[in-house]
Amino acid sequence: MSSEKPTEDLDIAPNRLVPFKQQAAIYKAGLYISASIIAFVMGLPIYWMFQSSLRTRASIQSGITQFFPTMSTFTIERYTILFNPVVRTYIVNSVIVTVGTVLLVVVISLISGYGLARFDYRFKVNFARILLTGYMFSAIVIGLPLFLIWKRVGLVNNPLGLILALSAGAMPFCVWVMWKYIQTIPSSLEESAWMAGASRWRGFVDIVLPQCAPGLIAVALFSFAIAWGDFTYAQILMPAQEAQTFPVGILRLINQGYATTWGDILAAGFFMSIPPLIFAYFLQSYLLKGFELR
Amino acid sequence: MLYRIYMSVDRADFIRQINTEGVTVGSWTIKSHTIWGWLTALPVLLLYILIAIIPISFAIYASFHNVLLLNPQWQFVGFQNYFEIINLPTFWGSLRRGVVYMVGSTILQTIIGVWMALVINRITFGRKILSAMIFAAYLIPTIIVALLARYALDPFIGVIPPLLGQLGVWNPNDYLLGTPDLAMPIVILVSTWKFSVFITIIVVAQLRSVPAQFYESAKICGATQWEMFRDITFPRIKGAILVAVFLRSIFMFNKFDIIWQLTAGGPGDATQTLPILAYREAFIAGFFGRANAIAFVMFLFLLMGGIGYFKFFNPSQEVETEI
Repeated sequence: MSSEKPTEDLDIAPNRLVPFKQQAAIYKAGLYISASIIAFVMGLPIYWMFQSSLRTRASIQSGITQFFPTMSTFTIERYTILFNPVVRTYIVNSVIVTVGTVLLVVVISLISGYGLARFDYRFKVNFARILLTGYMFSAIVIGLPLFLIWKRVGLVNNPLGLILALSAGAMPFCVWVMWKYIQTIPSSLEESAWMAGASRWRGFVDIVLPQCAPGLIAVALFSFAIAWGDFTYAQILMPAQEAQTFPVGILRLINQGYATTWGDILAAGFFMSIPPLIFAYFLQSYLLKGFELR
Repeated sequence: MLYRIYMSVDRADFIRQINTEGVTVGSWTIKSHTIWGWLTALPVLLLYILIAIIPISFAIYASFHNVLLLNPQWQFVGFQNYFEIINLPTFWGSLRRGVVYMVGSTILQTIIGVWMALVINRITFGRKILSAMIFAAYLIPTIIVALLARYALDPFIGVIPPLLGQLGVWNPNDYLLGTPDLAMPIVILVSTWKFSVFITIIVVAQLRSVPAQFYESAKICGATQWEMFRDITFPRIKGAILVAVFLRSIFMFNKFDIIWQLTAGGPGDATQTLPILAYREAFIAGFFGRANAIAFVMFLFLLMGGIGYFKFFNPSQEVETEI
């Protein structure tokens, strides 16, 4: 699909308005101009965040547009914000919530995906349909009543409350991915293990689990994106400052405005973007795998 | 009865029976697949009950009460909250702005998302790095995108106002997000930057399943790029685009985070949509009952959308093909 070499000189349709060769050239030019525009628009903000985070406070406040820091304006001092106890709490909270969500989603979607793929049970189709309604969960619609409920149960400001809410949001998609992925593993492999005396559990652990690693990575990546970027649930369910995750906390810092400056905020923001950037480069095929709907 | 069966056979036998054949109680048989199937479905169902069914029922219950956070005694007020929100001038304005935001950003996202998907599907040079740049927008937290936009638009230190000033289209000393007429278009543009990639990922995943021979044979028959797109590519991705557009519309209608981070609904209420209104009613005005009434009205909108989704796209067919 990627090798787009124009087929030699097979100009069988000479009645075209534009000859074949020119067409190919125009097409190619359009493709690469499009690619450059996309690269510019998508890449520049990230680069801008990076280069701004490496500049002195004075050079940011001067408002002069510079495309890269010069010798006199370069500093890595901005990254000291990561050692600020408040910001560090936010980052640690975000990590706790993200790890918890990813683990919970991976385990539950693995179990349910295996069940959907291997057991032929009653109302299975209905169950899959109910799963799809999970797309309708909206953080604000669920979050407001959930806040009142968690308040009674004592889960407000507790990472567990946030993890449960985020996991439910990631679930429909992740169960579907695991279901489809386990279907691609031939069940005859498991059956031969049972013939050799293995239990269903052994067969699951030794045969299914190692083979569904790509599906698991896709699920983990998707739930990571949900938990790492979540703002709405965290804003509603974690009001106390020491419980806040990074997105909520950093917004509070910048809206208060006095203790922190843009340079610090951008340094912290770039730090939090490093895992997404790494995943976007190295795990992009898994991300696509998760979205192959049919 | 089950207990008697349990006692009548020895334990290992019973477990083996459940595992292989199922349980028979009188004339009523439960197949082992049903037992194990539902056991595996149980965690998800419990989570759904806890995070969807209970909160939404609770929202309905709370919407009929006057809820004050500090007072555990709720006062039953019937439909008063609903009458109040219907009579709230900001409610209808928020609904209208929410629809503008939803439609505007979904259209832009679809066009740009499909365009990006076609480009990264066809490009050969620098494909991986370009995909990474696009997919990064999906994985980077919304807050960072919103803060970058606010930084770039800042009248004192931002990079965009001087640029617009030089072009002569804008007074660089004014804050663009603080201008009622411009706040909504800018929020839509920033949302498009962040969320177009959702459509791109779905479409690219779909495009990868189109066999390369289709294009080769079309080329041998002298098809132009446009004809190949019209007759091979587009029919393949049409369904995926429809699903993606539907999901995006729902998500954008419910979008709270990026609007709150960029403008918090302001200036005035120029960017206040229903989610922002619900949040403000709850946590700034303190009317939890009213906020839950708004949340429930939003849920009804979602439900209508969901029913439409099942009617038009019939996802159960997709489910059935999987079995």
